[in-house]
Amino acid sequence: MTAIGLMLVIPLAAAVAMLVLGGDSRASRAVALLSPVAQLCAAVCLLARTMGSGWVVLPAGGWAAPHGIALAVDPLAALMLVVAGVTVLAGTAYSLAETGVGMGHPLRLPLMQFLSAGINLSFCTADLFNLFVAFEVLLIASYGLLTLETGGRAARHAFPYVALNAFGSVLFFCVAGLAYARFGSLGFADIARRAGEMPGDPGVAVIAVLLACVFGLKAGLFPLYYWLPRSYPILPVPLAAVFAGLLTKVGVYALIRLFATVMPHDLAGIHAAIAWVSGLTMLLGVIGAISRNFVRGILSFHILSQVAFMTLALGFFTPLSIAAAIFYIAHHIVVKSSLFLVGGVAARLNGSDDLKVMGNLWVAAPWLGVIFLAQALSLAGLPPLSGFWGKYAIAVVGIGKGEYLLVGASLLAGALTLFSMLKIWLAAFWRMEGAVVTGAGEGRTRALTWVCAAMMSLSVGIGLFAEPVMRVAQRAADVALDPGGLAVAIDAAGGKGAAR
Amino acid sequence: MQLDTALLAGFLFALAAWLILQPSFVRKLFGFVILSNAANLFVLMVSGDPAGRSAPIMGDGGVPVDPLPQALILTAIVIGFGVTAYLVMLLYRLFLDTGATVEGDGEDDGREGGER
Repeated sequence: MTAIGLMLVIPLAAAVAMLVLGGDSRASRAVALLSPVAQLCAAVCLLARTMGSGWVVLPAGGWAAPHGIALAVDPLAALMLVVAGVTVLAGTAYSLAETGVGMGHPLRLPLMQFLSAGINLSFCTADLFNLFVAFEVLLIASYGLLTLETGGRAARHAFPYVALNAFGSVLFFCVAGLAYARFGSLGFADIARRAGEMPGDPGVAVIAVLLACVFGLKAGLFPLYYWLPRSYPILPVPLAAVFAGLLTKVGVYALIRLFATVMPHDLAGIHAAIAWVSGLTMLLGVIGAISRNFVRGILSFHILSQVAFMTLALGFFTPLSIAAAIFYIAHHIVVKSSLFLVGGVAARLNGSDDLKVMGNLWVAAPWLGVIFLAQALSLAGLPPLSGFWGKYAIAVVGIGKGEYLLVGASLLAGALTLFSMLKIWLAAFWRMEGAVVTGAGEGRTRALTWVCAAMMSLSVGIGLFAEPVMRVAQRAADVALDPGGLAVAIDAAGGKGAAR
Repeated sequence: MQLDTALLAGFLFALAAWLILQPSFVRKLFGFVILSNAANLFVLMVSGDPAGRSAPIMGDGGVPVDPLPQALILTAIVIGFGVTAYLVMLLYRLFLDTGATVEGDGEDDGREGGER
């Protein structure tokens, strides 16, 4: 399928083109904006196709699967590609609107394209080693972006991020080697088939636990989350939005992919462990958020508690809960990145995102306030906004399974989320004294607010049209949970050197 | 052959962990270099005993070793080199910006990055 190839070729070609065009020129800005639009179109095509046919497979270079590399996309991956395209588009648009031509850092936009290529590859890949390579591509791009425009002492917050992710990558590489030794293949389809043939094998359980550790680290689960809330606030706003929206969610995607499609479904103990770790992460993340007193810090801690909702749903491991997790990922990426963008506009108006300094924004920028309120309430999960439906489905599944404690923890985390969002609202928007607001009517501020408004309309749309989105998520969960589907699709794709 | 490789890989992992936990930046850096080499050795070790097998070259005769883990290791070496180069630059920049060569040196007053 050419669309899968396009998902990888477009960002790489765009990045190289921007490096050739050089600097922050008009031409490279046009490329930066066109690339996510083109990716989004290809991703929507893929989603439409996979909704009908399930898996879509591209044998890379035309070589058949065991010897060639197969790239494969199912509705889950296609949905992630669509949401990733939207987020990168919003981040790029914000980045372009923020500074005039020639004022931005010349490497920011090309690196964002490399990041995008890594993210797309990790959604398209159908084997463990390509997943490792994809993670490395996106991580190295993210290391670059993290320290590109960060000077002085803030740069030391980058070190834990780099160190822990480098450690996670090494562990992942070792697990890939172990999986190859155990299953004789790295392809998801082959691993699924062979793991299914050895029920109760301790090697399978060990590999599953190690994979859960690796991607738990990447997703920011307790106790491996220390790197996240310290490193994200040092990023420039549009990059923080893209990182917050996408990077941890690539980890969650990998967890869902590996536990639903690749690993056997009878690992109840590991699923329960994931659920309990998620419950802890949820509470600790939200408590961390309450303890912060600047906007990006609060939002960064919220990523943790929100990621834990998704992995909690994965831990419950029923078709409905996985569908809820997928729905929640789609909602969360949009809401989270737009909240970072709103926080950026607010910080721009107040000159700081320290809650002690902020204020007066409701008078100066009422529309920004409306956008913030809609997104914040959606994050907290109030109906009929998009966050409610995912949480509702997760709670229903949890009560059905008798996990009252975990459901209680998730409801408590929701309430505390609302509390910390109101903290931002009261300090930045509602407080009338003290703060100075500059540049509220400027064209640039208005452009930035429009970017936020576009993201808000998308998330409100997800909330109002929850049923069709949930149907997509359910189809995605059904395809992802069918362990044989990928093997059938890869065999059907054929290619040079096929076994038949 | 596999046992001594396993012991060596284990020793390297332990050494890497110890070095990374040291406060000195240079030691941390060497820790990461050793960590990625330990992982490469580990994957080579789990790929099977090479005794009595030939190099995986066409027409060489004999039973070849499995070439795939070696391809994985080759990729990992390249990636590890990239990450090491980045770490060198990051630590050097931390030294330039704050004058620190050990962790905790040049620490600011506990403020977060966002409150710059």
